[in-house]
Amino acid sequence: MSESTPRITAQYLEQFSHQTVRLLGKVRQLRGEQATIDAGGNVSIYLNRDSHLQLNHAVEIIGKVQNDLSVRVMACTDFGPENEIDFVAAEAVVDATHRYREIFYEKDT
Amino acid sequence: MDYGNQYSTTSYGAGGGQNGGGFMPGSQSDSPGGQKGKYGKDTLRPVTVKQLLDAPHPYPDAEHFMIDDQETTQVTFVGQVRNISQQTTNVTYKVDDGTGVVEVKVWVDSEVMNEDGQDPKKVTEQAYVRVFGRLKVFGNKRHVGANVIRPIQDFNEISYHLLEATVVHLQSTRGAPGDAKAITNGAANGAANGMSTAASAQLAGVSASARKVFECLRNSPQTNEGLHMQDIAIQVNMDVQAVMKAGEELLGNGVIYTTIDDHTWAIMDM
Repeated sequence: MSESTPRITAQYLEQFSHQTVRLLGKVRQLRGEQATIDAGGNVSIYLNRDSHLQLNHAVEIIGKVQNDLSVRVMACTDFGPENEIDFVAAEAVVDATHRYREIFYEKDT
Repeated sequence: MDYGNQYSTTSYGAGGGQNGGGFMPGSQSDSPGGQKGKYGKDTLRPVTVKQLLDAPHPYPDAEHFMIDDQETTQVTFVGQVRNISQQTTNVTYKVDDGTGVVEVKVWVDSEVMNEDGQDPKKVTEQAYVRVFGRLKVFGNKRHVGANVIRPIQDFNEISYHLLEATVVHLQSTRGAPGDAKAITNGAANGAANGMSTAASAQLAGVSASARKVFECLRNSPQTNEGLHMQDIAIQVNMDVQAVMKAGEELLGNGVIYTTIDDHTWAIMDM
């Protein structure tokens, strides 16, 4: 039950502070251990050693939202060049996740 | 996408001709022999793992689970493989789709047709896969007995599947799109809005079968005593039990009422 990782976009970061979430975004900046992705808004992410991100690729991040609304990455998956991903569908999924949360996650706060 | 092929391996009509014996060659190798009569009700439902873990199991030996009050046998979902464990009789994958984690077991003798010495499905850890199978419970633990587990080719399949699962969930709990906040098919919305708005307002929130019963009552010629549920069952082609359940729902919502006996109903119009 608490193994769920709800999908969110940048606007939900505050609501999910200190929780483990999933974000799908486009890689915009890479600066060593830090990066910026566009997931409906810019999000700062802090990478771990296994993360290999490529600019202008879509990436799915699983991570924990920090106090400053950055995300500490636990795992990431490269989804390929960003133009191959339908971000309208991805945003619809995030919308559905929260609107009909009964099939996606337990709201425990 | 080759979704069409996958559906046919688990549906009723597909393999019947091959053996002539009325049972399915492609079905679960661990099923008990007595499955012959039950395929008529097999359904395939796109789900989230959370739905699988939450689904009530009506009684201990039941072959089906209840998801959104519908009997569900076979399911499909898309998730990420977290762990692969090779065992003597099966390969167990732990699959996580963001809503929960479930074990998926692929029985080894169903792999016999594939090449030796390599993982024929090319399912690796951290890869996203599409799973088709049956939910099973063993003691307290649930797992999925998979017929098919294959890596996805296009990452949009993940979004597609989650949206499809949402649509099916909403259709089962709220009826066809029209009053639901359907995010996906705008065309379906447009078509459904053509139906009478008065009926929609009364019916907001009932199941699809209740809707069918209501439409039948609304449209069939009848006396002022309404229709008996047997007649409704024949007209909508549903089981009498299903009609009874739908009727109770509609009675509870106050859109129909009982007339000469408990099973004869008429539409409440003021």
